[in-house]
Amino acid sequence: MNSTLNRWLPHAAFAIFAFGAPLLLSGNRYFAFIAGITLISVLWATGMNLLYGYTGLMPMMFAGIAGISAYMTVGLAAIGWSFWGAMLISSLAASLIGVILGLPSLRLRGFYFTLCSLVIQTVITLGFVYFVNLTNGDTGISQIPLPELPGGGSLSGLAYDMVLAALAVIGVVVLTLIVHSQFGRRLVAIREDDGLAETLGIDVTRQKMIAFFVASVFASIGGALYAPYVGFISPRSFDVLVSLNIWLMVAFGGRGTIWGPVFGAVLLAPVPFLLQDYYTIKDVLYGLLIIGVIVMLPAGIAGGLKAPSRKATPAALKAERAQ
Amino acid sequence: MSLLETRQVTMRFGGVVALRNVDVHQDANETLGMIGPNGSGKTTFVNVITGHLRPAAGSLVFDGNSLIGRRPFAIAGAGLTRTFQAVRVFGQLTGRENVAAALVDAQRPLDADGVAEATHWLSLDNRLDVPAGSLTLFEQRRLELLMRLVQRPKLLMLDEPVGGLSSAEVRSMIALLAELKARNTIFIIEHTMKVIRELADRVVVLLAGEKIADGPPADILADRRVVENYLGSVDA
Amino acid sequence: MSDAAIIIVMSTITTGIMLGVIFSLVAVGVTIVYGSIWMPNAANGQFFLLASLLAWSASVSWGLHPAIAALLVIGASVPFSYVLEILLVRRFYDVPNRNVSYFVLTLGITQILAGIFSVTYGVWSDQFQLPPIVPGVTLLGPFPIANNRLASMGIAAILLAALFALLRFHRYGRALRAVFQNREAAALRGVDVRAIYRMSFILGNGVIFAGGVLFACAYSVDLTVAWTMAVTAFAIMIIGGPGSVLGALVVGMVFGFTQAIVSIFASPTIAAFSYLGAMLVILLFRPSGLFAR
Repeated sequence: MNSTLNRWLPHAAFAIFAFGAPLLLSGNRYFAFIAGITLISVLWATGMNLLYGYTGLMPMMFAGIAGISAYMTVGLAAIGWSFWGAMLISSLAASLIGVILGLPSLRLRGFYFTLCSLVIQTVITLGFVYFVNLTNGDTGISQIPLPELPGGGSLSGLAYDMVLAALAVIGVVVLTLIVHSQFGRRLVAIREDDGLAETLGIDVTRQKMIAFFVASVFASIGGALYAPYVGFISPRSFDVLVSLNIWLMVAFGGRGTIWGPVFGAVLLAPVPFLLQDYYTIKDVLYGLLIIGVIVMLPAGIAGGLKAPSRKATPAALKAERAQ
Repeated sequence: MSLLETRQVTMRFGGVVALRNVDVHQDANETLGMIGPNGSGKTTFVNVITGHLRPAAGSLVFDGNSLIGRRPFAIAGAGLTRTFQAVRVFGQLTGRENVAAALVDAQRPLDADGVAEATHWLSLDNRLDVPAGSLTLFEQRRLELLMRLVQRPKLLMLDEPVGGLSSAEVRSMIALLAELKARNTIFIIEHTMKVIRELADRVVVLLAGEKIADGPPADILADRRVVENYLGSVDA
Repeated sequence: MSDAAIIIVMSTITTGIMLGVIFSLVAVGVTIVYGSIWMPNAANGQFFLLASLLAWSASVSWGLHPAIAALLVIGASVPFSYVLEILLVRRFYDVPNRNVSYFVLTLGITQILAGIFSVTYGVWSDQFQLPPIVPGVTLLGPFPIANNRLASMGIAAILLAALFALLRFHRYGRALRAVFQNREAAALRGVDVRAIYRMSFILGNGVIFAGGVLFACAYSVDLTVAWTMAVTAFAIMIIGGPGSVLGALVVGMVFGFTQAIVSIFASPTIAAFSYLGAMLVILLFRPSGLFAR
């Protein structure tokens, strides 16, 4: 009983923070908006954490999947669908597309997986640019209508923030449940040594696929809610740099822990807005942070990070030599 | 009926033949040894059986079912498990987490008492709460064994289980395996006769991918072909 | 054949050769670094662009002769690479799976350079081209071609030949290839592996810089070329086989001609799609590339 309480206490604290922040900031719509974007980032970072932190995959196509869901939701809503129905279908479709696109790459390891996912991300971005009649190309889609509410009217302002807060909290709770499940155990084994995991009877490809799907659902729901919240999407909203920045939140906060990436998102997501007058140095700053994070990870970003101070294990060195 | 039976197994890498028409059979409760110099195809043979490599030709039957085309996790699930020549544990995880990972998809896992007993038998009781990577090599070898035993495999394939151990540790490991063979069916690969002679009921000798002898250790030691080709040069 | 048809054919061939030698240069630069250090340089496109823009500044803003500007910029790549090697690259030489670390590291560098370019050059103009090194136009039958473009093409081809000779015949080239094949064995034979790493990083980047400068001589450059080039160079490296210089040369030329031909019928996006598709297929079915060592 007590341990259950201890496990969920941080979640309660986070929920208070997630719902409280927009509430406190509701006097200033701009700050509340930053809080909302941060909550979407928490959801994204949590999904990325499932893959990068717990499964050891570094998916550079994460933002692309969010983008597919966002464009599809906006498109379906534009032809008369209910936003919520559109969001549901789009999220499922985007996650399935993600799994189908990612399926072959799941056989690849390390750099080759990351490169393959980068190629897929680039294809998705080119698609957003190229299919102008669906996406309005580089110009992007603006004045996206807000989600409608069942009783009439539309979801806006504080109520929208509350929905985002709820999703961020649900996301973290789901990740916690996964991490403490048998499924989570399999993923960690795969992250540590997928060959050994397979030898112990774990169906590595299947588990990676499920993890990929779950993370894609996180990405997709975030993407679908991002579009009306910001009111504008373009290929740049979901390009490789966005994937990289979500990855940065996870790596910066500490991958493979529940709360590290949440902190990473809370710290990094508001940065571009707080630097609004110097918006353009955002890229430089993020780039420097990426380099800083990598330099700080002694075992390398593919290495285990649970105990960063420990020297590389003999097994890791052996694996290196084998390559 | 044999527990494991391979017929005419052939494996090629590019143009190089790594295994040629290898026939091996092993009965339940029999301890089978496989020896051969480095590069003779022993590890390739294990990789073929455990689904890590797909043979170019031949049949593999384990416990009445063909293994051809089955993936490693499925073969492990069927009760055929293996260790690796270079010790391999989840170095960043604790021993307990390692064992948990071995249990998660085990088809016939030991119960908690059984796990505790096996842990105690391997003298790992106090070593399971530190990262496996910080254990000594001998401890890692035993942890590796524990991770297989909790799965209650029907056949345990050990690839050079005493590799890298000191001579005192080799003796303890042999003693452990001698006890284990009464309860489990074991297949041991070694490149010297030392371990095999003490443990195996029967020995298969591989040379350049071909089986050149098969019989009780005493007969193998007396086999002129084996002595000339292999034992004579390696000083068994 | 009518003159119009000849012009189209000649234009496709010259564009194909021009793009091919540029692609090959950059891909060779990338593959040398990957083959030795195991570093997939995702920032190659930004390095390429950096060289173009610096050469533009030196010739247009400072008024240097473009040939001198080009040499200056290529020369500047040496200290640039040296500093990067000391500050960042060498930290990872012993890290397990360092190619992933390098990949992300160079993506970080990409982001920094892209950010810098967008607030500097991006504000000034969207097209950058060097003044011609050699003025005038040559007529190949009915087809006119700028002497400048011919010169760029020739210099790039000579550079490629020189590189190939260096790797094949020079002592350093042989040591480099030994490291490509087997680090430990090379180290045992007395090759200073770390010195080779440093040299190949400097050489690889120098080649990429040369590609950028020559490209800016022949065509006008805009900021989006960086990402296109990065993806193209990666695709060439993967298809040709990581670490294979011959693969980079051959596939680079094929890509150049593909782009020249596709551009006649369709948008360059289609060419990009086809590279990416080819790269995916290779990654999935033959990750060691077509010209695996």
